[in-house]
Amino acid sequence: MKIVLYSGGNENENRVLNIKALKLTGADVPKLTFIPSSSYDAEEDFKFFVDEFSKLGVQRFMHFCVDTPFTKTMLGEVLKSDLIFLGGGNTFYFLKHLKKHKMFDHFKKFLKRGGVLCGLSAGAIVLTPHVHTASFPHFDRDENPWDMKNLSAMRLVNFEFFPHYKNSQRYDEELKHHSKKSNLPLYACPNGGGIIIENDGLTFCGKVHCFYQGKKFTISSYLG
Amino acid sequence: MGNTKLNESRSLKESNPYSKFKQIDGNHPLKKNVPEAVVEYQVRTRHGGQVAFFNFDLARELGLIPENHLDELTEELKKEILNTFSIVIINEYDQMNNFNFPKDEIKANTYMATRYLQLQHPCKKGTTSGDGRSIWNGQVSKGGKTWDVSSCGTGATKLSPACNINKKFYQTGDPTVSYGCGYSEKDEGLSSLFFSEVLAKNGLETERVLGIIEFQKGLAINIRVHDNLLRPSHMFNHLKQNNLPTLKRVVDYYIERQSKNKIWKNVPTDSKSIYDYFLNQMMETFAEMSANFEDQYIFCWLDWDGDNILMDGGIIDYGSVRQFGLYHHEYRYDDVQRWSTSIKEQKQKARYIVQSFAQIVDYIKNEKKRPIEDFKNHHSLVSFDKRFFDYKNRNILTKIGFTPKYAEFLLESCRKDVEDFRSDFTYFEMAKSVKGPQKVPDGINWNAIFCMRDILRELPQLMLSRGMDGHLNEGEFIDIIKSSYATKKDLKRSLRRDLKIRSYQKNYIKLMNKVAAKFKIAPAKVLLDVSMRSSVINKYDRVTGDSITNIVAKVMSKRPKLSAEEIGGILKEFTEYQNLNPDKDRKPSNFESQKEQSRLVKGMLQIVREFRDGI
Repeated sequence: MKIVLYSGGNENENRVLNIKALKLTGADVPKLTFIPSSSYDAEEDFKFFVDEFSKLGVQRFMHFCVDTPFTKTMLGEVLKSDLIFLGGGNTFYFLKHLKKHKMFDHFKKFLKRGGVLCGLSAGAIVLTPHVHTASFPHFDRDENPWDMKNLSAMRLVNFEFFPHYKNSQRYDEELKHHSKKSNLPLYACPNGGGIIIENDGLTFCGKVHCFYQGKKFTISSYLG
Repeated sequence: MGNTKLNESRSLKESNPYSKFKQIDGNHPLKKNVPEAVVEYQVRTRHGGQVAFFNFDLARELGLIPENHLDELTEELKKEILNTFSIVIINEYDQMNNFNFPKDEIKANTYMATRYLQLQHPCKKGTTSGDGRSIWNGQVSKGGKTWDVSSCGTGATKLSPACNINKKFYQTGDPTVSYGCGYSEKDEGLSSLFFSEVLAKNGLETERVLGIIEFQKGLAINIRVHDNLLRPSHMFNHLKQNNLPTLKRVVDYYIERQSKNKIWKNVPTDSKSIYDYFLNQMMETFAEMSANFEDQYIFCWLDWDGDNILMDGGIIDYGSVRQFGLYHHEYRYDDVQRWSTSIKEQKQKARYIVQSFAQIVDYIKNEKKRPIEDFKNHHSLVSFDKRFFDYKNRNILTKIGFTPKYAEFLLESCRKDVEDFRSDFTYFEMAKSVKGPQKVPDGINWNAIFCMRDILRELPQLMLSRGMDGHLNEGEFIDIIKSSYATKKDLKRSLRRDLKIRSYQKNYIKLMNKVAAKFKIAPAKVLLDVSMRSSVINKYDRVTGDSITNIVAKVMSKRPKLSAEEIGGILKEFTEYQNLNPDKDRKPSNFESQKEQSRLVKGMLQIVREFRDGI
């Protein structure tokens, strides 16, 4: 299983993760698909995606929205990609549409046949067991106007993921508080950071912190 | 002395940031240059109005508010808007009944309603037709450019169809007549606002809404602006009446305005060639406009009278304007007494308008009017036919997603290849449902069944993914282009359709390869560029006429809670989303959607999505 979780940040900050993700495909001419969290202005995000990965030599790209109707032909082609990248945005909205179109099953099959699944921010959270981390801290959380109750997600990893982490007391307080109620470790990554999962092994990129049962640990060994 | 005056004027401007509103006082050069072309009315203040919307961006462009003015409707600004635009004419009915209005409420200048040809009037020469419920507020200038400002809903003039059909003058607001009562409604203003701002954002010429003043019972004054509000019908009436001196003065006035506004450059000065130049401009304008309307699925009821369209091909009077999601080329609007033209007949109507201009120019140059039939084979019409297809070719290349540079090369060097592709494209675009003609709420339609935007958006991605030789099979192709209007029977395979599917893809790739060879770049790179641009140009959810109607209903239901500023904010957000220019400024991003839309805008996008295939 090859998964890359990105916290967020600009293309320079994420270059190491991008290179690593591409390498994981093992393809000489990799085929990438960008799936934005929402089709709203997604073309612009796609442009940035293409600009960044073109610099790394990629030429074949697809753009696929899950919140607008799509054809079997497009979906089939997307699942033939070497790498699928789930963009950031509103986690709840993204989750709602991924579930609506039963994308989790498709992604699981995609991973099984050796594809690389990447997610940034909201796109990373939906790969974890649930999306609770999108609901806090209270000063920086995603809106849930759809009042989604079932927050279970793809469960591809057995930890929680917190993107855009800032090493400060007010973040730590809420993260520690949450970790007391959770059985899973919670990895908090600052922008530019992330986690690479390959064959069940984790590699950390950037200074990642782990919150577990009300305590905070700093991961000392990391890339980048 | 001069300096003192300058200082005084400066300090006046500083003290009153809205002083430019004073320019809009009923004065307009047409009144003096062509008095026969207008009917002048005294106007008085109309009380009880509230500013429901004000277009701050447009007001800045016109210099009505300072550049650094916030999007905030201050008390002073509200007052200025109402003082300038909340007016009603003192019409023939008022005068006949000796209505006395307070003198201090009557404006110093008269305001004009203009005369123009309208086919719905009994007199087909335009002696009695024109602005039936509008007056021109005047002009405003900034940086060497001048705009016309007019308002709709300012009272019943003697030029309305009702007045002339029933042979009586109407009191403004008379409930027994709708259009003829001289008032307009707020939803008309909002429809024009949302529609025109989307189209303007996408580079189409159109009137734009400066503001909406609302009154009780859903009534409104809708203020509109364009750099020249003259229509062909402003000339055609004088042509029909054989009134050469007036016709010549209107034409001269128009040429001078276009020249002064620097819209027309290098205008000849000698009296003969200036009119040839004018005719050529009209031919270009209407060839481009009709090709654009056809390719962007814009239905604008064009007819021989030259009404419903501005001289520069700009859209005016959004009442019957629509943008279709598919090429519904059989749709006709039911106007009770007559059926409208269809979208594909617009070209012939535009051509006829050019024929009329050829007649006008000949009339002015030779001072003798020849029948319109004499101009059936006029060289300007030969040019029109050629230019129409030039623009169609350009449009298809733009829709595919070629940059202007690539498109220019293909137009110059590979015209046959472009036309071959366009022919395949048109085959699918024109396909209609086997169900035949169907009644729709405001007319009749024979549903188109294929959404060509979808294939333009998705084909390059699929080809890029599969490799340049990785064509779609027939089933895949149809799966992508089928719209919500297509029935199972419509999608039945046929040999001809299968051949066309193959031809479409072969000719598509041919264009990519031609560009790649010419510019020495990999075909896959061309395809990638095209794919990126096409995803913006052929966005999944593009606004249609039906969606605008529903969006306006949604906004109306939120009034009066929704302030003028809030409507402005929503409009901005909405039009930005509907900006399909692939070269627009991009926001900084890292594959993370930063935009959170307001709830109302989210609802609007849902509406756009729902009605994307409609009329």
